[in-house]
Amino acid sequence: MIPYHRELQLTIPSSAVKIIGLGGAGANMLERLALDGTEGAALLAINTDARTLAACVAGEKIQLGRNLTKGLGAGGDPELGRQAMLEAEAEIRASLRGNRIVFLCAGLGGGTGSGAAPVITRIAREEGAFVVVFASMPFAFEGRRRRDQADTTLNELAVLANALVTFDNNRMGELVLAKQGIHEAFSAADRMICESIKAVIRLVIRPGLINIGLDDLMSALRTNRSRCLFGSGMAKGKDRATSALRNALSSPLLDQGALLKEAQTVLVHLSGGEDLTLYEVELLMQRLQKFVPESAHVLFGAVIDPAMGDNLSVTLISALPEDSLAAAPRDSGNSVTENSDMPDHHPAATPESSLDPQLTPPSAAKSRRSTSQAADADGVSPFSAEHRVADPGPPPLPTEEVPVEPSPDPTASPAADPSDLSETPSPFGQPVVFKPIKRGQVAATPSWETPMPLEDAVPQKATRLSAGIDAEPEAAATLDPVTPAPVAESGPPKLKLGIKSPALQNELAFEAVPRGRFEGQAPTVVDGEDLDLPPFLRKKK
Amino acid sequence: MARSSKIHVGLEIGTSKTCIVVGEVKPDTAVKILGIGTTKTAGVRKGEIYDFPQASACLKDALVKAEDASDVEIGSVYLAITGSHIQGINSRGTFRLPEGQSIVAPEHVEEARTIARDIHIPQDHVHLHPIIRRYLLDDLEHKTSPVGLYGKTVEADFHIVHGIGNRIQNSIALVRKALLEVDDIVFSPIATAQMALDHEQRERGALVIDIGGGTTDYALYLDGAIAASGCIPVGGDHLTNDIHLVTGLPFSKSEKLKIMEGDASADPARSVGVAKLVDDRGFAEVEVRRSMLNEIIRQRLEETLRLVRQRLPEGSVEAIGAGIFLTGGTSLMRGFGELAFEVFGRDIYRPEPPEISGVQASFKDPQYATAIGLIRYAQILETERFAPPGLFGKITRLFWPFGK
Repeated sequence: MIPYHRELQLTIPSSAVKIIGLGGAGANMLERLALDGTEGAALLAINTDARTLAACVAGEKIQLGRNLTKGLGAGGDPELGRQAMLEAEAEIRASLRGNRIVFLCAGLGGGTGSGAAPVITRIAREEGAFVVVFASMPFAFEGRRRRDQADTTLNELAVLANALVTFDNNRMGELVLAKQGIHEAFSAADRMICESIKAVIRLVIRPGLINIGLDDLMSALRTNRSRCLFGSGMAKGKDRATSALRNALSSPLLDQGALLKEAQTVLVHLSGGEDLTLYEVELLMQRLQKFVPESAHVLFGAVIDPAMGDNLSVTLISALPEDSLAAAPRDSGNSVTENSDMPDHHPAATPESSLDPQLTPPSAAKSRRSTSQAADADGVSPFSAEHRVADPGPPPLPTEEVPVEPSPDPTASPAADPSDLSETPSPFGQPVVFKPIKRGQVAATPSWETPMPLEDAVPQKATRLSAGIDAEPEAAATLDPVTPAPVAESGPPKLKLGIKSPALQNELAFEAVPRGRFEGQAPTVVDGEDLDLPPFLRKKK
Repeated sequence: MARSSKIHVGLEIGTSKTCIVVGEVKPDTAVKILGIGTTKTAGVRKGEIYDFPQASACLKDALVKAEDASDVEIGSVYLAITGSHIQGINSRGTFRLPEGQSIVAPEHVEEARTIARDIHIPQDHVHLHPIIRRYLLDDLEHKTSPVGLYGKTVEADFHIVHGIGNRIQNSIALVRKALLEVDDIVFSPIATAQMALDHEQRERGALVIDIGGGTTDYALYLDGAIAASGCIPVGGDHLTNDIHLVTGLPFSKSEKLKIMEGDASADPARSVGVAKLVDDRGFAEVEVRRSMLNEIIRQRLEETLRLVRQRLPEGSVEAIGAGIFLTGGTSLMRGFGELAFEVFGRDIYRPEPPEISGVQASFKDPQYATAIGLIRYAQILETERFAPPGLFGKITRLFWPFGK
């Protein structure tokens, strides 16, 4: 074959791509990018704080609010940030002129990031650029106010930007082991964002064998007000196609591939060295098919980049419209963790799940916390809060206001659900909401006046009930031990107390305990305990 | 006594694996491993055989592999036995020398021995090992037989291991079916202790806990002699079963999850997030919260260790000087050392998982500790026997192989 070198003019010139780091967090991300090296893009650092700006390694720097903040930061006040930005508007406009793609990296929640980001986005759009925003959301421990500020900005950005990728800092725990140093955690997060940016740059700058351009990118992200899903993975060596895909799917921004099930357009971009084989490409695409619905429109692009060496990198970009992002994790969660073993241990789940269709989706999805929190504030709260608790079952983590784990708990504590739910501390007053349901169900059977036989016959339930009693302070004491029982036993085996019909006294129906491997064998009884049953279940009182 | 090197074979039919170890004992009493043959066992649960043909097939498979690996034709083995029915108790026999005699004669020691062994054991049990712990001559301890010494009262402290006779016979029948002879039967933890503990550690006091697939065997040594031994029918299978029952995952996935992601220490930093199992064949991944997984594992292991502690005689854990030695496949669980330290409060010694391949590595692999220990045990038996039993003695041993 006659080798022929592509003309360099066919590529998008590096002057047309700009990466902006806004605020403190943005400056960190920019540093990471500068360290790893970005060819084909110019770096621009924007900040109110002059000192951070001076320390930044970007090629171009613009200081906001020279007169307003006088070289200090915005102090966590987005309004100040916005004003400062408006002051420097002309400078920024001049800098962004002629750029076709602008990446904006900002950490939301503070002053400069939250305040100035929407303005810059607007300016960039006005100059005709394609804007991709990478925003990081504050930690849960940073408090409600920062969260709200971040959410507001996020909503604005969702409208203004072409593509918006959010990274929730709370999920940093997934990137590194919690035991490692905090700088490691942050640098892992920065690295991930950096990888994403570089992947997108690679995508649009170099023309490939199979070309993907800005137009494809826009069609993949076409839905307005959408959240962008992003995954990128790189691997080398044997089996690199599978590993790269696995890495890409395991990115927290993609929620382990579960969210892709709802996507309608997916953009897949492969980049490899000279030795990229057709077989690897096919293998990768076939594996991807499992995660993407049949009806999805897959835009495929590939590029040979000698600089990659023997690395293979795959980038997945897609977008979900806002509301489907909320519904998706529930479905994926339920399907993965459907637990036929323990239907009787989630009796309270049935009343809750009937509420599902009525809800506008607040949920425990990672990047949806903004809306759910906003909804909570509104007064849709009782239902949404209740729903959230029933959601993956009572989350064992103490931080109750923001359930952190993205993938729902396979089985929550299998025993003692009703009392758990009523005991869950919550700022929304859940016990108050629960009472009507319980009372309503019980109102039909007020005639059971004797709790005693019940307590004798079912000593273990009594412990559950007593927990329930504590949480419901104003209940009639005699009725209490009896009332939650029907709720707890939502299934068929109802207890018939001897008072009613002494002739036909049914036996208490014990369902056979599943024993797994040791099914059918004589139990090993030591000190009155069957050792074949898991201590986890035996000790759950 | 100079001897040419002898070859001993140790056989362990465990719940998760059957393994045969062929070892050569050199004249200088060094043991060299010639070959190991192992298979995954089917037909054994909690250390007891419940499917005879399957277990037999596994045994034959392991036999072939061992013969291949070591290039030795195996005719007889030392068999390691375990099971919850096996118990060890201490008993002491006292014999007062008759009037006029002040030198201890061998028959006096024999008398004391007989009296010691004459304890009440359940109807269907037979003696496995009467292991001498120590002798006392007029309340003074003697390590070895006090024959020829002056004294009035001879006492013999024995550790008697006994178990259900029929089950032991079944195991022996299984081995016979594979056309092998049984040289001797050994209670598993005692064999493991031969391998795991050296003389000094036994002097200072050490506890060996072997947590295998179906059972947890333990043997406690104090002052150089065995003080307690036993078997608890809980093992690695129970761990997997626990995970399977609580999370609802299939058994094989639970097993993989246990091995790859389990952690028994209560370290909260290691219980963050979700543990995932990736399936290369494209089936859906399974996810379990790490905190739940670790809690399940930890509770089971903690209960097992506490059961072991309960079974030890009063005050013996405090008397352990050297420490606790953990062996067996399940002891490879991450964080198990920390958990054991919490329960016992003693130094914990764990085997390191082998990184190098080859026969040398398997010497240290905790999974083979028992089988290799059998070879050591055989060697010790050999040196204790001053004369090999004659032909008649061998035949009687065939029919009544239970100790002397």
